[in-house]
Amino acid sequence: MTADGELLVALAGQPNVGKSTVFNILTGLSQHVGNWPGKTVEKKEGYYSIDGRRIRIVDLPGSYSLTAYSEEEKIARDFIINERPNAIVLIANASAVERSLYLLAEFLLLNVPVVVALNMMDVAEQQGVRIEVRMLEKYLGVPVVPMVASKNKGIKELVSAILHISEKGDNFNPSLADVAEDHRDIFAELAALLEPYIDPPYLIRWTITKIMEGDPDVTERMAQSVPADVWRRTQAVLREHEDSLLAVVRGRYDWIEGAVRSATSKFKRGQILFTDRLDDILTRPSLGIPILFGVLAVVFAITYGLGLPLQQVLESLMRVLVTWIEPLLGQSPWVRGIVVDGLVGGAGTVLTFLPVLFFFFTAMAFLEDVGYMARAAFVMDRFMHFIGLHGKSFLPFCLGFGCNVPAVMGARILESGRIRLLTIFLTPFVPCTAKLAVVTLIAAAIFGKDAFLISWLLIAGNILVLGFTGMIVSKLFFTPMHMPFIMELPFYHKPNPRTIGIVVWKRIIAFLRKAGSIIVLFSVLLWLLSHIPGGDIETSILGSVGRFLEPVGRPMGLDWKMIVALLSGIAARENAIAALGVLYGVGEEGIRVILASVMGHATALSFLVMLMLFVPCVATLVVMKQEMGSWRWFLLSFAFMLFLSYAAGIVAYRGALMIGI
Amino acid sequence: MTDEVVSLVSLREGEEGVIQAVSGGPGLIGRLASLGITSGIKVRMVRNIGGPLIVTTNGTRIAIGRGQAQKIVVRRLTAGEEEDKTA
Repeated sequence: MTADGELLVALAGQPNVGKSTVFNILTGLSQHVGNWPGKTVEKKEGYYSIDGRRIRIVDLPGSYSLTAYSEEEKIARDFIINERPNAIVLIANASAVERSLYLLAEFLLLNVPVVVALNMMDVAEQQGVRIEVRMLEKYLGVPVVPMVASKNKGIKELVSAILHISEKGDNFNPSLADVAEDHRDIFAELAALLEPYIDPPYLIRWTITKIMEGDPDVTERMAQSVPADVWRRTQAVLREHEDSLLAVVRGRYDWIEGAVRSATSKFKRGQILFTDRLDDILTRPSLGIPILFGVLAVVFAITYGLGLPLQQVLESLMRVLVTWIEPLLGQSPWVRGIVVDGLVGGAGTVLTFLPVLFFFFTAMAFLEDVGYMARAAFVMDRFMHFIGLHGKSFLPFCLGFGCNVPAVMGARILESGRIRLLTIFLTPFVPCTAKLAVVTLIAAAIFGKDAFLISWLLIAGNILVLGFTGMIVSKLFFTPMHMPFIMELPFYHKPNPRTIGIVVWKRIIAFLRKAGSIIVLFSVLLWLLSHIPGGDIETSILGSVGRFLEPVGRPMGLDWKMIVALLSGIAARENAIAALGVLYGVGEEGIRVILASVMGHATALSFLVMLMLFVPCVATLVVMKQEMGSWRWFLLSFAFMLFLSYAAGIVAYRGALMIGI
Repeated sequence: MTDEVVSLVSLREGEEGVIQAVSGGPGLIGRLASLGITSGIKVRMVRNIGGPLIVTTNGTRIAIGRGQAQKIVVRRLTAGEEEDKTA
């Protein structure tokens, strides 16, 4: 406990038990979201105050167990071991109590007081499961609070249980799961061998259990601290009893079985649930896949139908804003340029996409919350295998159609490091709203009535490139690839506006933060580069770079202005249009009119192809580097995109000339 | 009662089986155990049309990739057979 009497409470639970709902109710707006130090795992914490006492609540990453197979699990247990919170709240799912108890068995070994919040009592009731809470408490030796968090039931009782158990301090004596009976002597043998070498904060019982489970982290640490001869004997015991892990698991399930038998009863036979009926349709590939594409089509229709008109409204508001602030900026063309062309024209244009993103992210968060995205991942799994991934990568890719920044961050849901890396590598090939906006605008200006077809071909081509790249990269770098795909399919449930709101808010904030920092900086920098030293773009640094690169652009029919426009797209894709407007001296509005006269069809095609495949915007690049955590992979992906867009640009140009488009 | 021991992938939709063993590394065994897939547990096949499959156990439905499912050995229960899950 900290000096001022503040309590530290860790919130734990498996995925899909309503943990974030409980966390949101308890902490409300006081929550702070960051990263665990040195990790790309999100850390959420917040405060709850009662009677002048502050409870600091740390939301541990959701995990099914506490063995160090994933970063989340390692973080959760290291936090308990090193920070010794006053209490752990384990959120359990009353309708699948066995599984939640499995995680409880692991937490109890860490010797920190635990309160079980038995959530989703209503769902259990619907399924005909009755739980005698007092009996369960008695069996486990742990306070159990029944809850329906989605209806705000049981929160007060939970808080008082937390306060009560924190005050009791060391008087916490739960029932613990033993290893299976036939392995108790082996447990004792290992304990006798290793006990002298286990120092606080590590506990003997926990450490021996983890050694028997073959936990890589604990094994590694013990191998370091135990004398060589003792370690050799330990290894010999473990080798002789290769089934130790199973004995630990069996012991836990015996303990769970006891709890379930003493405290739960089925009062009616499991009826056919709504979830079963819906899954019968949605997980059948022949129906599920067409439905998935239908659902996505609706999402896009909503996003663009509602978002684009609003985007245009914002764009004209932005122009009005410019006419207001322009007179205030004085005579200097530099101040005017930086503010009007750099800030408003660059970063401001990016901001006008906010409504589009808002509708898109809301639709996606809705689908996630009701449980549909897990089914989408399931039906897409077979296709994702072709590109070296599995179904779970489908969600980040979907987000990518909105904005690549939250998509790259969304890859965090993937447990396997290699799959996460490959997913991030491929994300820039998902065409985002900004790319689509630029493509549709240019296609409309140049191809007239064929614009629609051309745009669709470009998008389809982009996705094919994603597929082929995945196939090639996974074959080259990730062989032999094992792709364990194990995923819980949660029950469908009514959408919770609060949960959806928080998810949308987080993704929008991620986008705004990038727009507010990196994109602003780059927009201004780009404006300066295009005006220093002479004040006009022809003689500027950027202009010289463009001219210098002109020979590079020749094979795909691009002149230096188009190269500069492509480069400006790195600040943000939308900038490519603005840059063309400036370079051809007609402004952003005029460019729609004159574009057809400066770009032939073949040139426009290669320009668009390159724009689709080129290095993504700087905001995406920054999060890619951050989430990949490796320069090698980041640079490889950067170089790959440069090469690919160049090669594809040439092919598109030559191909178009040859068939005479 | 038949005592047919097969891989999980050969259960047809609607059939039930009791898990006999999970082969594979500690990672796979541990992960499946924490989701309720371990020796002695009864599972019901919900979806098995190529690709990944879906089983239910104790009120949870879990999707498992085909490769992983091949490493799970079950004893097939004949229709109507009521089996205690601690078999």
